[in-house]
Amino acid sequence: MEDLKEIIEDFLIEAFELVEQIDQNLVELENNPEDLELLNAIFRVAHTVKGSSSFLNFDILTKLTHHMEDVLNKARKEELKMTPEVMDVVLESIDDMKALLQEIRDKGSDQESNIDIEDICEKLDAISKNIPLEKKEEEPASQDYSNMSKDEIEKEIERLLQEKKQESKKRKAAKKGEVKKEKPKVPQKPPQVKKEEKEKIQKISPSSMEQTIRVEVKRLDHLMNLIGELVLGKNRLLKIYDDVEERYEGEKFLEELNQVVSSISIVTTDLQIAVMKTRMLPIAKVFNKFPRLVRDLSRELNKDMELVISGEDTELDKSIIEEIGDPLVHIIRNSCDHGIENADERKMLGKKEKGTIELKAYNEGNQIVIEVKDDGKGLDPEFLKQKALEKGLISQREAETMGNKEAFTLIFKPGFSTAKAVTNVSGRGVGMDVVKTNIEKLNGIIDIDSELGKGTVMKLKIPLTLAIIQSLLVGVQEEYYAIPLASVLETVRISMDDIYMIEGRNVLRLRDEILSLARLSDIFGIEQVYETNEHAYVVVIGLAELKLGIIVDSLVGQEEIVIKSMGDYLQGIEGIAGATIRGDGRVTLIVDIAALMDLAKNIKTNIVAQSQIQKTKKQSPSDYNILIVDDSKTDRTIMRKSLDKLGINIIEATNGVEALNIVKSNKYDFDSILIDIEMPRMDGYTLASEIKKYSRYKNIPLIAVTSRTSKSDRLRGVEVGMTEYITKPYSSEYLTNTVSRNIKLPLTESV
Amino acid sequence: MNDPINNILKKQENQHISSSKEDEHESENIIQLVGFIVGDEEFAIPILNIQEIIKPIEYTRVPSVPGYVMGVFNLRGNVIPLIDLRRKFNLPPLNQTPDTRYIVMKHEDNVVGFIIDKLTEAIRMNADHIDSPPDNLQKEKGMVQGIGKRENNILTILKVDTLLKRDF
Repeated sequence: MEDLKEIIEDFLIEAFELVEQIDQNLVELENNPEDLELLNAIFRVAHTVKGSSSFLNFDILTKLTHHMEDVLNKARKEELKMTPEVMDVVLESIDDMKALLQEIRDKGSDQESNIDIEDICEKLDAISKNIPLEKKEEEPASQDYSNMSKDEIEKEIERLLQEKKQESKKRKAAKKGEVKKEKPKVPQKPPQVKKEEKEKIQKISPSSMEQTIRVEVKRLDHLMNLIGELVLGKNRLLKIYDDVEERYEGEKFLEELNQVVSSISIVTTDLQIAVMKTRMLPIAKVFNKFPRLVRDLSRELNKDMELVISGEDTELDKSIIEEIGDPLVHIIRNSCDHGIENADERKMLGKKEKGTIELKAYNEGNQIVIEVKDDGKGLDPEFLKQKALEKGLISQREAETMGNKEAFTLIFKPGFSTAKAVTNVSGRGVGMDVVKTNIEKLNGIIDIDSELGKGTVMKLKIPLTLAIIQSLLVGVQEEYYAIPLASVLETVRISMDDIYMIEGRNVLRLRDEILSLARLSDIFGIEQVYETNEHAYVVVIGLAELKLGIIVDSLVGQEEIVIKSMGDYLQGIEGIAGATIRGDGRVTLIVDIAALMDLAKNIKTNIVAQSQIQKTKKQSPSDYNILIVDDSKTDRTIMRKSLDKLGINIIEATNGVEALNIVKSNKYDFDSILIDIEMPRMDGYTLASEIKKYSRYKNIPLIAVTSRTSKSDRLRGVEVGMTEYITKPYSSEYLTNTVSRNIKLPLTESV
Repeated sequence: MNDPINNILKKQENQHISSSKEDEHESENIIQLVGFIVGDEEFAIPILNIQEIIKPIEYTRVPSVPGYVMGVFNLRGNVIPLIDLRRKFNLPPLNQTPDTRYIVMKHEDNVVGFIIDKLTEAIRMNADHIDSPPDNLQKEKGMVQGIGKRENNILTILKVDTLLKRDF
């Protein structure tokens, strides 16, 4: 039983591969019906499937392929001409064959399927017997015996018997005459096929036949996961190397370490590319079905069109190949139906009668670009706007301010269709919407360009792989997020004054475009612990046809990240695509661009107004907080006594670790910290540099209060970010003055 | 000469067999639990559901989740969600103390870390001493698996698969 299952699996894999090839061949065949090699190839597919399916007892499939084989065999021997009519029937039979194969894959048998093959078998028979197709209907009518009386039936039987006798007589006579012809014919057939096959194989083998091995996708996925771990390890190593380099500058062993680290880094990258390549398939796998699609459509729509394919060996990750098929079908259909005009219309416009659709794939950096270009009538932005207005998809104002490019993207809105009449092919307003969702799923970008009367170009830009991606790391308050680099169009530094409010939206004028803005901190509900600067960074992201500017506090840099799932518990959190582990071992979340764009729509905060409110917060001295870090109780008391006069809040810590915990807890918002240098557990220098790691305290004044007076001590203090240096002993007045100057305490009567 | 030795060996063997039988008999009824404290109450979970117990490490906040989901942390290359049991049980949040631990629990393929106030001990408890939860507790989304009775106190045995189920 297990054995049989395995055989069936192998059979299905083989059959699907063959069927894929056959579509392509058949369309080519229609263009040169005389091509024997193509015919032979197609015949062999039918033959192979027939052979295996009869062995595996798939009776229906066997019957179908048997009939197909008959027709193809005739064609192969030039007894039959491949007219478009014949082709239609053959293509239909192949569709049935595919359906049956799918049935077998899903249910393990073709017996329960609802696919009716009788009809198509009859048609195939008719062709192989050279009966014109239309006659098929008459046959069942003449054999309707149910209405006949008994006598009539008897007569009929007699007549039939007679006919049969005569037929057999004729046949016998014929046989006698043909014996010599037929006998050698039967045994000759198989060797003939084999010979051709051998020839073909021999022809192919030196050039294009590559040695292959079939591997389960699961194993490749596992390998990819392991590589992911390795990439994380490499990132970690690089980070540690940077730290070590800083600390031991000029040491000899650094050179050696550098060599090891770089060679591991290179090998890891190569390994990653190599494994990625094993998962890659040529895009031909998807492209192959389109010649057939365009051919069918041109017959259906009565238009003369051809499809020109290039770059079909461009490779893409398997998972992407699976997703890209549907959107492309819709785009090509759209071009055929809406783009290309009728032959008459084209003639009037002085265009070539035959419409051309170009399908092109090529690599561009870390992305693959798939381009669909037609030389049809192009998109009319005014017409699109009007149509969208009628359907209530946009407002009058939106229509007025809309640029041409924006107008083109209207075709992706759900419920939008420009076809004047709904045809079988398109015009229901579902298709292009599907394109958008599928491309978004892949983090891809859609770019449309069109010229009225000349044609339309649609470009799909898709990342090469999904598991390991390049990302832009951004900082917001104390948090970091990774944005897939494929979706980042550009980054700009703006001043808060550049932001305008229009209809409740924050917008930025970027060159000649109006860009919607949203703060990442608003989208993700990040607490505003420190004020936003006058300047902000805007990351312009693009997805499918949409654009959005995201305001962040800092740009950290570009990093290669491995996407990790956050487990079942946190699967599918809105706005988060996954997580990754950074070089320092921390987890960083990866932004889900599509969800982010949705979330941003609901955010209505006025960024400009808010940033102004924040500036006028502190009024009385008690709004100020100061932390005193010193291990000596006496020293702390002295400091507290002098500072109490200012009326500010004072918090004490006895050592560096305790101080850092207080800072980390976010309980207080400190305006300044007084630090003793010599302390147990963590000294003042370390504490200062740790505090400066927090972006909210990046600019906090740190005041060293110490008895160390040497120049090198002061220098070290400056290095770690101390702003002031007070040496013990000091006058109480000097201390209060220094502190109030540093926290910019408004001068009151307190002195 | 050999007799005494053989005798001893035999004796040992017999003992071994009988003791292992006893073990077998025992293990049918004994459930091993790990006890911990959240708030003022002692809870316990079956030891087999625990992957490991670690000291608190840094975690990353995750947006748009309920307050009791603190975020995610890195456990040797795996990204694991972190849930504060105090908040989950609607208790006021507490700052970390030196006793605070993360218990990493697993159920099937699902792994989640939980913040608890303090570990107590490993507990062996006879199944007879465990009652099914009272009806008024059953409403608590089925979080309680049973009530363990001990000499001087009782402890709530939590149901791990419910704890690990996403309820938002």
